[in-house]
Amino acid sequence: MKNKRYLAGPYLFWSVSFVVIPLLVIVYYAFTTDEGGFTFANLGQIVTPENLKALGISLLLSFFSTVVCLLLAYPLAMILSARNMNQSSFIVLIFILPMWMNFLLRTMAWQTLLEKTGVINSILGFLHLPLLDIINTPYAIILGMVYNFLPFMVLPIYNVLIKIDKDVVNAARDLGANSAQTFLKITLPLSVPGVISGITMVFVPALTTFVISDLLGGGKILLIGNVIEQSFKQNSNWHVGSSLSLLLMVFIIGSMALVAKYDTDGEGTVL
Amino acid sequence: MIRKSLQKIYLALIFILLYAPIVTLMVLSFNNSKTRAKWGGFTLKWYRQLFQNEQIMSALYTTLIISFFAAGIATVIGTAAAIAIQGMKQKWRTLYMGLTNIPMMNAEIVMGISLMLLFIALRMTLGFGTILIAHITFNIPYVILSVSPKLKQTSRHTFEAAMDLGASPLQAFFKVVFPDIMPGVLSGFMLAFTMSLDDFVITHFTKGPGIDTLSTKIYTEVRKGIKPEIYALSTILFVSVLVLLLLINYAPEEKEDGKTKRKKVKRPSKVKMVVVRRVIPAVLCLVVFGGGIYYATRNQMMNGDKVIVYNWGEYIDPEVITIFEEETGIDVIYEEFETNEILYPKVSSGAIAYDLVCPSDYMIQRMLENGLLAEIDFENVPNVKYIGQQYMEQSKQFDPENKYSVPYCWGTVGILYNKTMVEEPVDSWGILWDEKYKDSILMQDSVRDAFAVALRYLGYSLNSADLDELNEAMELLIRQKPLVQAYVIDQVRDKMIGNEAALGVIYSGEAIYTQWENPDLEYVIPKEGTNIWIDAWVIPKNAEHKENAEAFLDFLCRPDIALKNFEYITYSTPNTAAREMIEDEQLRNSKVAFPDLDKLPEMETFRYLGTEADGVYGELWNKVKSK
Repeated sequence: MKNKRYLAGPYLFWSVSFVVIPLLVIVYYAFTTDEGGFTFANLGQIVTPENLKALGISLLLSFFSTVVCLLLAYPLAMILSARNMNQSSFIVLIFILPMWMNFLLRTMAWQTLLEKTGVINSILGFLHLPLLDIINTPYAIILGMVYNFLPFMVLPIYNVLIKIDKDVVNAARDLGANSAQTFLKITLPLSVPGVISGITMVFVPALTTFVISDLLGGGKILLIGNVIEQSFKQNSNWHVGSSLSLLLMVFIIGSMALVAKYDTDGEGTVL
Repeated sequence: MIRKSLQKIYLALIFILLYAPIVTLMVLSFNNSKTRAKWGGFTLKWYRQLFQNEQIMSALYTTLIISFFAAGIATVIGTAAAIAIQGMKQKWRTLYMGLTNIPMMNAEIVMGISLMLLFIALRMTLGFGTILIAHITFNIPYVILSVSPKLKQTSRHTFEAAMDLGASPLQAFFKVVFPDIMPGVLSGFMLAFTMSLDDFVITHFTKGPGIDTLSTKIYTEVRKGIKPEIYALSTILFVSVLVLLLLINYAPEEKEDGKTKRKKVKRPSKVKMVVVRRVIPAVLCLVVFGGGIYYATRNQMMNGDKVIVYNWGEYIDPEVITIFEEETGIDVIYEEFETNEILYPKVSSGAIAYDLVCPSDYMIQRMLENGLLAEIDFENVPNVKYIGQQYMEQSKQFDPENKYSVPYCWGTVGILYNKTMVEEPVDSWGILWDEKYKDSILMQDSVRDAFAVALRYLGYSLNSADLDELNEAMELLIRQKPLVQAYVIDQVRDKMIGNEAALGVIYSGEAIYTQWENPDLEYVIPKEGTNIWIDAWVIPKNAEHKENAEAFLDFLCRPDIALKNFEYITYSTPNTAAREMIEDEQLRNSKVAFPDLDKLPEMETFRYLGTEADGVYGELWNKVKSK
């Protein structure tokens, strides 16, 4: 069993070459000028009111979409975990299958659904119900985030829920706890690691997306992801873009620390 | 019982949320109209055309092959790593899991950018290899995280027992451990495969010329509206995976003993199961690989004569490329970009040696000033004589001696409005600031175009670099923002056709198409003047196939070919001979496509303003967008 450790060799090599070193390259770009000299100017350029506002909105929207995801996903995971069927395959069917339709297309399709003269409003109009006017607003962006990232919330929660020993739950019931008590005292605390990893799995991509806000926000709401994308594409300013990426890394590292704290056995509850 | 039905309703609602867009896309694949904004009746033609569309099919196979190899390699590396990590001490394990978490947690955009910067720093050619490396990188964690839990469930004693009984470590692993973790390995592979397939951001940053995955192909098409063939392809993909999964999951399975959850033992006796679990996947693999090898060798055989062309998305009739290849035997490697700003660093970094590129006026000027362009040998491009003299004259604004560029398309920027929604005559940019049309105005989502509107309305030059003027323009744009429905680029087209908005800022080339689809639309050039732009072909200095590039350029200037292109892309052609050949008289004399240059209000062409001014524009635009 000793020489097993070498099996991690290729992985270590790969990770260092294509995960760690590229991040260092970003750091390099963040602190240099076009001519290659060292500078703090790029960092200075990122604390403008505009960028801070974009960051603020990103934080706000990703916070809300994380909350909505959690509220939707938890009951869903409970229902699914309580069902006695060929679960893993069912879950795969429901949540992984949509990914075979391209991400950009799926998000574009929401445009067709939500537009003023779109599918949903046609149906509502036909039924003489008030029309939905959320396209090009933050609500549409939140919807897009929830839609795209919901699976990343459901799967980890579901995974911890099915691992909960039924005997523990039954014991609580036998000892006189009602279902609310059992949930609050047993199920919920035991599912915390799944919830935490779900939260980070939704929060980080929601915080950094630029495609969803582009397609559903009508370009009126600038998220931090859009600012970074623009600095690479429209302004061709790689150095400032790299600095902004560094700023994002702060939040990412924060999330990782949070997960690590709850994932004490180091097994990872993401999937 | 109520609880049960509530649960069912809840599941159903989530299901609708997840699948509504997918159903929408499927419906669109049967839509006879080219735009998603209009239902033009039921058709199957996109399915037929799909298989003839070489670009899409080749993107599909590239995607499948990259996903397959990336998932496969990641599965091997990841499974090995998971086994090793399992046997490590706590400290090391935490370290490794931290390492695994980085790509999982890291923002895609950061990861994509970081890899791109690395590849460029290493002078690696961006292409198949770099995409593959990037995909393997983000796939490995999915494998590790799928395999690890399974490993935890296996007892390490079984492995030792096997060794004690005389098995070699390899034997012990494959006979004892591997069957136990097999489901984890498989699901890790499937997950990795799906993630690869669905990835856009990372591929976007790490890809090179002549290679497109479905995602990047779709992204370039968002600019011009998605080709309906893509919907058809997605529907086929989706349905076949659905069928496959249903087959696998609901295939006859041996009964599991509820309590002793031992590994499923394979029973080859059941023919049906073998068919479902082995034959069908094997056939699918064969199809994928057969197709992949077919398309890959098609591309690989191009070691002979080739030309690498870099053009705007949807800016050429694909048939034109086919005809050229047939006539000359030169293979065209065709690559698309979305904005001039994306194009510039790709050419200037020299990471990719393009032979023929089609930037806009101001970007040509910038490339010229930075010495990136080669002089075109006009001996090899005799057909340049068909390009109208007035357009060559216009080009002198960015190419003073007409030595480096040949105009390909040109046009104006103006207002497209819906006659049923706008009562008063439209003749000024000012209408875009009219409170009456709140939430019905579409603005251009690009810095220079948006500022051009405001600057011209204020009576300034659209090449202004004067801070006061720019600030004034910014104030104006900020004032306009509450009235704007959306900032978009080419979605103006679909949205105007679908009666989503009353007014939109649009390129004249798009206007012609929108009028075909929706006769209520009208295009005007405001009296304050606007931008007249030219996209022209140039040859970068580092081109490796300059003569082929000139041959292709000459071919594009041939009147019949230029006509074919015009009819496909509807952007005004500077090729006067081609214009004469347009059969539809109305189109030939269209004031939108071919406005009389003398009678127009003051027109300007964008000029490159230098890095500093570029920065100012970017900063001010950010202020507008973040208000």
